[in-house]
Amino acid sequence: MSGMKIEMPEPNGGDETDFEAILDPRVQESIGRSLKAHYDDLINAPIPDKFLVLLAQLEAKESRSSAEEASDERP
Amino acid sequence: MSAPEFKDGLIKEIPNLRAFAASLSGSMQLADDLVQDTLLKAWGNSDKFEPGTSLRAWLFTILRNTYYSLYRKRGREVQDSEGTYAERMAVHGNQESHLDLADFRKALAKLPEEQREVLIMVGATGLSYEEAAEICGVAIGTIKSRVNRARTKLAELLSIKGLDDLGPDRQSAAAVHRTSSEPIRP
Repeated sequence: MSGMKIEMPEPNGGDETDFEAILDPRVQESIGRSLKAHYDDLINAPIPDKFLVLLAQLEAKESRSSAEEASDERP
Repeated sequence: MSAPEFKDGLIKEIPNLRAFAASLSGSMQLADDLVQDTLLKAWGNSDKFEPGTSLRAWLFTILRNTYYSLYRKRGREVQDSEGTYAERMAVHGNQESHLDLADFRKALAKLPEEQREVLIMVGATGLSYEEAAEICGVAIGTIKSRVNRARTKLAELLSIKGLDDLGPDRQSAAAVHRTSSEPIRP
């Protein structure tokens, strides 16, 4: 990849209706379908346990520290 | 929002975060590191999330910022040494759509990041143009133009420039997505 492009003003002042017409709707549809297939395949992968463990730990830590604050039992 | 509620919200968004992170970084391993960082930051800043607004958009903003500030360089290194996930990842589904998807992913990986991220956001995640604009910190017109450039570039890379190029091979390959593996004869 060849580094970041410098942000240039949009040729049509940001209004892209003309540009949109260049691509055939069927091509757009085909790309849209592939995009969904790509993303859905990733979405449907099982969630690794480590994320659930991490969140459970964070939650346990928070409820422990708020319990300590409330009762202030420890020195 | 209570901690258990917030936690449940985060869990629901994990698949989307992973999918977006993988699309952005090109590596499943980096994606998981990125998601872990995002969850930690989200938890630590949960008081800054406004209930009623889109949790997905909020989390994508964190993930994206984390990627650009910490992961982008690593992403390139991992891709150079291991290849992108597009080349390695096991894909569910039949063989035809597998080949199709692999080609598409290679093309997607060739897009500039700024185009790829918005194409994914508005084309696959269900985020609106407005939300994408807010996440990226640019105007809606810029998002629209990036999406259009991304589509045009993808069509070029996949050699589906216009009606004439959308020949019978492509059409039946595309049809495989929706129907059985039986090729459709006109």
